[in-house]
Amino acid sequence: MPNTGPAIVVDKLCKYYGANKAVDNISFTVKSGEVFAFLGPNGAGKSTTAEVIETIRVPTSGTVTVLGMDVTKHKAKVVRRIGVLPQNFSSFDRITVRESLQYFARVFGCRADVDALMDLTDLRHKSGAPFNTLSGGLKQRLGIAIALVSDPEIVFLDEPTTGLDPHARHQIWDVLRGLKARGKTVFLTTHYMEEAELLADTVAIIASGRIVAMDSPAKLTEEHAEQTRLTLTSIDATAVGLIRSLGFSPIPKGNDSLSVPIKTPDDVRRILAEIERAGLALGGLDVRKPNLEEVFLKLTKTPAVSAQVRAA
Amino acid sequence: MSPRIIAANLGVRLKSFYRERSAMFFTFAFPVILVLVFGTIFTKPEHLNFDLPVQDNSRSEASSRLLEALAAGDAFTVKPVPVAVDATQYAKEHKLNLLLVIPKNFEVLQKQRVVGPHAGVPVPLDYVYDPSSTAVETKIQLLHAIVAAANQKATGSPPAITLNAVSILSERYRFIEFFVPGIIAMAIMTSCLSSVLNMNAELLQKGILRKLATTPITRADWLASSIVYQLILAVVSTAAILLVSYFVFDVRLHIGIWLPLILVVEVVAFTGIGMLLTPFAREAESASAVANAFLFPMMFLSGTFFPVEMMPAFLQTFAKLLPLYYVNEALRSAMIFVDDAATLRSVGVTAAFAAVVFVAGTFRTRWDEST
Repeated sequence: MPNTGPAIVVDKLCKYYGANKAVDNISFTVKSGEVFAFLGPNGAGKSTTAEVIETIRVPTSGTVTVLGMDVTKHKAKVVRRIGVLPQNFSSFDRITVRESLQYFARVFGCRADVDALMDLTDLRHKSGAPFNTLSGGLKQRLGIAIALVSDPEIVFLDEPTTGLDPHARHQIWDVLRGLKARGKTVFLTTHYMEEAELLADTVAIIASGRIVAMDSPAKLTEEHAEQTRLTLTSIDATAVGLIRSLGFSPIPKGNDSLSVPIKTPDDVRRILAEIERAGLALGGLDVRKPNLEEVFLKLTKTPAVSAQVRAA
Repeated sequence: MSPRIIAANLGVRLKSFYRERSAMFFTFAFPVILVLVFGTIFTKPEHLNFDLPVQDNSRSEASSRLLEALAAGDAFTVKPVPVAVDATQYAKEHKLNLLLVIPKNFEVLQKQRVVGPHAGVPVPLDYVYDPSSTAVETKIQLLHAIVAAANQKATGSPPAITLNAVSILSERYRFIEFFVPGIIAMAIMTSCLSSVLNMNAELLQKGILRKLATTPITRADWLASSIVYQLILAVVSTAAILLVSYFVFDVRLHIGIWLPLILVVEVVAFTGIGMLLTPFAREAESASAVANAFLFPMMFLSGTFFPVEMMPAFLQTFAKLLPLYYVNEALRSAMIFVDDAATLRSVGVTAAFAAVVFVAGTFRTRWDEST
């Protein structure tokens, strides 16, 4: 039955491992057709939440509905309508790419177009290669192709680019853009800000088992990030007074650098014109827009979480 | 349970097995090698023959007769030892576990035994032996038997008691015929337990089971495909053992309806045990240790390599608690003794055990928290 409501509804979800609270009373809704990124440092609870939604784990309390079905009561029906790329995906070592796709198609009892799936994930040239001979990026792409074998309405991708080199990561992003273009609902867990910013319609930031912010990347940035900053390097110390006289609040950084919060491109022109008029030397400049990483670091700023984020 | 899913799992497993040449070699070749090795050793026990070094210090007609008697029965091949050497030292230097010494006055003593003051006094023969040798007991027993026969012959009277052998079997069987069913049982047990434990540990460690948990595969599908897969391996392995035994050692065993039935109950029993033990073997390293902890006691205490009757009483009682004991009994009853009643009893015990471990194994199999 086609789903007309939200793809996923999580309501007051808690998950304990013994006395350890992995997920702490979280609620959110994923709309049909959107890319929902679940962002958090390692151990924040994002994979546990995803695994509860994917029917692998049982919630300690709260409810999770997928396509209108309670995951604890309708596992058999739910798994037929979702596709999952688990964290650290692996498959049968000596089974080829084509055979793996055929195997999962038989398991789901569907007539999957294996060639089309290999084309979508750019795996056609590796169709006869056994799994244990594939590179990390190719394995992840096969995992995504397998997740799509039953033409699911929701695709769960748990850290699909972790451990991949930049080239392989960009290839995975191309595949995700393809899914988005096909109107799939994508539930993406990641600790890469750039990934979420580029691909997601909605981002939920989770830290220590709690959702600390949730909105579109643009709104999160607008709401939580600092202003755009102009950084001036190798500049005379007298520039501080000059820029202040224009109504800005420059912050000295090191011996000969200044950081100036600005609002518009015209602010940059005004400051540079004044420096030129005063005949002050200027070594270099950099204009940095606020980004999701800044928001993330700000919202997850506990010592332990910050350390994890830096490590990630 | 879905035949489509079972067939899909089976296909993947058989392809993986076929492409893993070392696994294929050890699954099929190891039991065949055991049959070849033990068959070669034990095929013709009636022609058991040992070298017997003899130092003949007498070099007389009487000592020649004794040497002829020793060589006559096919038990010994007499090997002369120089007379000038010290027999004990010679045995040590040449690592001999038994050396017979005929005294210099052997013929004189033989004559004195018949007439004169020493009449009736036995003639002493010394033998030097190595008590640490495992084979020496058998050689000494054979030597005693030959000397006893010679003594009896020397008295000139016919033997008071003779033994007539009446076999309970219609045909004459050798050790190899008893050994082959044990090897079949052992090969199937090893394949089921090791394969289930190693495969499950590998799938768990790599996270493949977590992926399978998000598919329509059920525990029953998984168990059923494991059993069918093991059954195929069991049939191929049994056929290989029987064919090698037949063509190399002319082993002819009764192959009837019981054999496939016994294979099925054994596969279900040991696949069930494998599933039951999986939670204790979550990594490949621990899987081998757990498998060996169960395989070795069963292999050596269930009558596969030597009869249970040879073991102390408490171990015999323990052996009868082991499922492999009943599989061995069932196979031998069916393939050697052709005794339907005895086969049924052993198959019944094995089937009951299989049912219990299968049900328990099904409940213990978990790849996610929701099952």
